[in-house]
Amino acid sequence: MGLKNKTTFCVEGLNQEKVLNKISKEIFLFDINRISKEKTIFSCAYSDRKKVEKCLKSNNFNIVFIKNEGFFYIFSKFLTNYGLIFAILIFFIFYFTQSNLILQYDISGESVLQEKEVVSFLKENLSRNKKEIDLQEAENALRTNFDEISFVSCIIKGQTLIVNIKEKLLPNEIYGEFEPILSTKNGKIKSIDLVSGTLNVKTGDFVKEGDVLVLPYVIDASGEIKEVEPKATIVAEVYYEGVAEHYQSKVERIRTGRVVEKNSITLFGLEIYSYEPDIQFEKYESEEEEVELVDNLLLPLKMKKTICYEVEEVLVETDFENVKEKFIEDAKQNALSKSEGCDKIIEEFYTLRHLCGMTTVNYCIVAEQQIGGNNDN
Amino acid sequence: MFNFFNEVKQNIKSPIEDFNIINMSGQILYVEGHKGLIVLSKEEIVFKIKKGTVSVFGENMLLAELNQTTIKICGKIKKVEQN
Repeated sequence: MGLKNKTTFCVEGLNQEKVLNKISKEIFLFDINRISKEKTIFSCAYSDRKKVEKCLKSNNFNIVFIKNEGFFYIFSKFLTNYGLIFAILIFFIFYFTQSNLILQYDISGESVLQEKEVVSFLKENLSRNKKEIDLQEAENALRTNFDEISFVSCIIKGQTLIVNIKEKLLPNEIYGEFEPILSTKNGKIKSIDLVSGTLNVKTGDFVKEGDVLVLPYVIDASGEIKEVEPKATIVAEVYYEGVAEHYQSKVERIRTGRVVEKNSITLFGLEIYSYEPDIQFEKYESEEEEVELVDNLLLPLKMKKTICYEVEEVLVETDFENVKEKFIEDAKQNALSKSEGCDKIIEEFYTLRHLCGMTTVNYCIVAEQQIGGNNDN
Repeated sequence: MFNFFNEVKQNIKSPIEDFNIINMSGQILYVEGHKGLIVLSKEEIVFKIKKGTVSVFGENMLLAELNQTTIKICGKIKKVEQN
């Protein structure tokens, strides 16, 4: 097989000279050899083979054989026949190379530890090559670097490194947020039930809202400070005060019944109509109302209505002793509304203060209430 | 009598319109300006020219090259006839 790029045709058919003339007008033919009356062998360039084949078929020639030669033919044959073999070979090389690598990490049994932490540690400290990984060393490294781990086992299955972790059972107090317990109310501490942390107050202390009740650490026998989540139930006597004021004489405004209405209509905020009659009242109070005139938003017509009520001032004088019970009740209700959610009312009392015609009623409710910590211990 | 215009007319003929046959020691025959193949066999090859045909006789002849205007014949060439 030569390296010259050519295709040899062996054809059978009648009137071969005519067809050869026709083909030779477009394509250069060579080595034309008439073997017999009906059979001819000829060659053409490898690149022209398809044109020649088409031309022969269109002239009803029987092609006995086609023989390709040359570098381009060998190359294309190689690509088509041997390309697949090469692809399979490359695939196997790639497969065997990557099958020696760890591609996945499977961590199980973690609850306090983060999976990402463990995986990033393994990626940083272990090789990806399966043969280079010493599982014993990996287990020791994990135990050394993570205090939470009590037991760990590592196995390689396929391309996955499976890490099974058993965590240490540590008291809950060492987890969580190390924030102190603060007082939620003003009051006098009545009882303390401390679970964890260090107390900052004692029974009988008066505390304000925001004062620190329990500190988020403990001091052990060696004098070392250890952070813990503070837990305690602190109950205090909390004071709720309600106030009602009485004036011996006061001016009251009474509506006489006479009314004047003012109207104005606006479109896009601009006033397009207004009706404003003169107000003859000496003293009056007004109420305003704005109404949408149409339902849709195409024409946002609005009407502003102002109603002026005539009032007259009347001096009213009342004796506190006559309305004392009512004012005490008002002050009590006021105090009760503030003490919503309190556990138990221990005591209630009121005080009266007289000053320049004004009497102030202070009603005080003393309730027992939790002011810090929680009950879920 | 020498006619200048007839001489020019003869000399300015296009090589495509005319034909050339080159015979190389009876082994290779090279033809330029043929107008198509008529007969092809090992013993006889006939092709058209502008005015008539050319027959090539020989033994074991092979058409080594063929394109629109040229033909190259290889083999033992015995005789070339123009009709």
